[in-house]
Amino acid sequence: MSNSNAGETVVVVRDVCKEFYRDQLTIPVLSGINLQLSEGDYLALMGPSGSGKTTLLNLIAGLDRPTSGDVIVCGQNLGQSSEGELARWRSRHVGFIFQMYNLIPVLTAYENVELPLTLTSMSRRQRDDHVKAALEVVALQDRMDHYPRQLSGGQEQRVAIARAIVTDPTLLVADEPTGDLDAKSAAEILELMHRLNTEFRKTIVMVTHDPNAADRARRILHLEKGLLVSEIANNRAKVAVP
Amino acid sequence: MKTLKYIWRNIRRNPIRSLLTILSVGFSLALMTVLYGFLAAQETWKNGAAQANRIVVMNIQGFSGRLPISSVDQVRSTKFVAAAVPFAWFGGSYQDEQMPFAQFATDPEHVFDVWPEYSIPPEQLEAFKTSRQGCVLDRRIAERRGWKVGDRIPLKGAIYPFDLDLEISGIFDSPKNTDSLYFHWDYLNEGLKQQSYPNIDNAGTIFARIASSDSIPAVIKSIDDKFGSSDTPTRSQTEAAFAQMFADMVGNVQVLIRNIGMAVVFSLSLVTANSMAMAMRERVTEIAVLKAIGFPRSRVLFMVLGEACAISMLGGFLGVGMGCLFLQGMNRLMPQFFPFTVMEMLGPWISYGLIAAAVLGLISGIVPAIRAAQMSVIDGLRRIA
Repeated sequence: MSNSNAGETVVVVRDVCKEFYRDQLTIPVLSGINLQLSEGDYLALMGPSGSGKTTLLNLIAGLDRPTSGDVIVCGQNLGQSSEGELARWRSRHVGFIFQMYNLIPVLTAYENVELPLTLTSMSRRQRDDHVKAALEVVALQDRMDHYPRQLSGGQEQRVAIARAIVTDPTLLVADEPTGDLDAKSAAEILELMHRLNTEFRKTIVMVTHDPNAADRARRILHLEKGLLVSEIANNRAKVAVP
Repeated sequence: MKTLKYIWRNIRRNPIRSLLTILSVGFSLALMTVLYGFLAAQETWKNGAAQANRIVVMNIQGFSGRLPISSVDQVRSTKFVAAAVPFAWFGGSYQDEQMPFAQFATDPEHVFDVWPEYSIPPEQLEAFKTSRQGCVLDRRIAERRGWKVGDRIPLKGAIYPFDLDLEISGIFDSPKNTDSLYFHWDYLNEGLKQQSYPNIDNAGTIFARIASSDSIPAVIKSIDDKFGSSDTPTRSQTEAAFAQMFADMVGNVQVLIRNIGMAVVFSLSLVTANSMAMAMRERVTEIAVLKAIGFPRSRVLFMVLGEACAISMLGGFLGVGMGCLFLQGMNRLMPQFFPFTVMEMLGPWISYGLIAAAVLGLISGIVPAIRAAQMSVIDGLRRIA
């Protein structure tokens, strides 16, 4: 696998297979996947439905463990970690961006962003500084007291991005981050993610069906039936909103 | 953002469901508080009676049997009996009130010898003894109704075909609320004679104070032996046993009340558990997100259990509060049946009620909490994706 960036290795996926079991049936989802990402990489995972994109994303994010092979992220072999260890690890190293934003509806934008910090030993003032900084990055500091229902879809996703970056994680994982947005909002989100990658050197792994979204990534991997079928080093990665 | 704040926001998320759950817990615990308050009233009465060296003599057939007034002197003459009085329940109504307070026809000369723990100013006691239509009553009745010495109290007979026209001669103090009024047995008996009532010269029951508790068994045996061969054989018993007799009359009701209480708590835990399970089902994705960003199982468990306990405790405060208010009302209206104030109940009953509410919260929340804590993050996220 190519390594398009000279930074420190963040993700190593080695000979990974993943199988699910349903009603005594074994369903192979990923077979022999090898992948390496360095700090500052921006990877788009593409492929038809059922090709294993989200499963691979979940393995890299420490939400699931491989049936065989190794997934080593930020120096931690995730396959050998207990669930409690994985939870602690995720809180420090991974930020999540979901297709449906998944904000907590009873919390304000500020409180949603603050949520991951409540797992740390930070003081109230430190948390406040971090939350405001994160909201400033997504340009929503003026909406911090608004509840999710009072925000547009694009704004909700920006709050979700602020929640993802507030702990300053090494890795951002995004599952169809623009899948529920209109074209304008999607472009804003992609631009924001591009900034996080270029200005803040965040390593990003994004699952998408959208070729325009994938075009922002430095690397594009295509999966089909659980196999990695092609990789494109995207030297045309756009740096500005079209 | 603290966990408790998040729990509170979740309770307010679906206010109607939360309110209905809180009300169902509240009303059920209010019912339990009242039912158990009724049991406590019986215990209080029984325990109070056990401390006094008094016996009660009645016809062996019970309250329906006669006990001639001449029996009182025979009881008095029994060895170790310090004092004895007739004690006949009148049960009259006052104005529109069917059961305003307890009224007993007794002997004014000796009634305060049988109950020496009651105190009354000597001049008022003297006035009571000399006035045939005089009566004395518990200070709590007088204060509640704003009555004073010299006021007249007309009581309409419900059991007897004779109405009383009483004048307050004195007001006595007693350690516990008796909610009682005492008047001359002679006044009632004379009135019944004038009405040609067949059952005259009846003492009803006899209350006697015994010099020492050690002598009580011998006195009881002596009295029952004395009347054994007469037309009106007696059954004598301690005041505590007399109180127990009343308790035994509703003994099965006590078991029933306890079982109903248990059933209420059990069924309520199912209702609350169902409510919590619904709330959790609606929040599967949300819980999955929390776990994805690093919330450990223990914290998810705490949040769900905390929410169930908070709802249950809110219902508990409401229920115990309503129950105490109801019992306080009963204490005011019918102190003879609820001889304790809400202040006397506050400690134990609030504790019991709130402990019951907390247990209810734990029982109802434990299954949804464990399911939430053990839920797969991926399955939870897939629910909406």
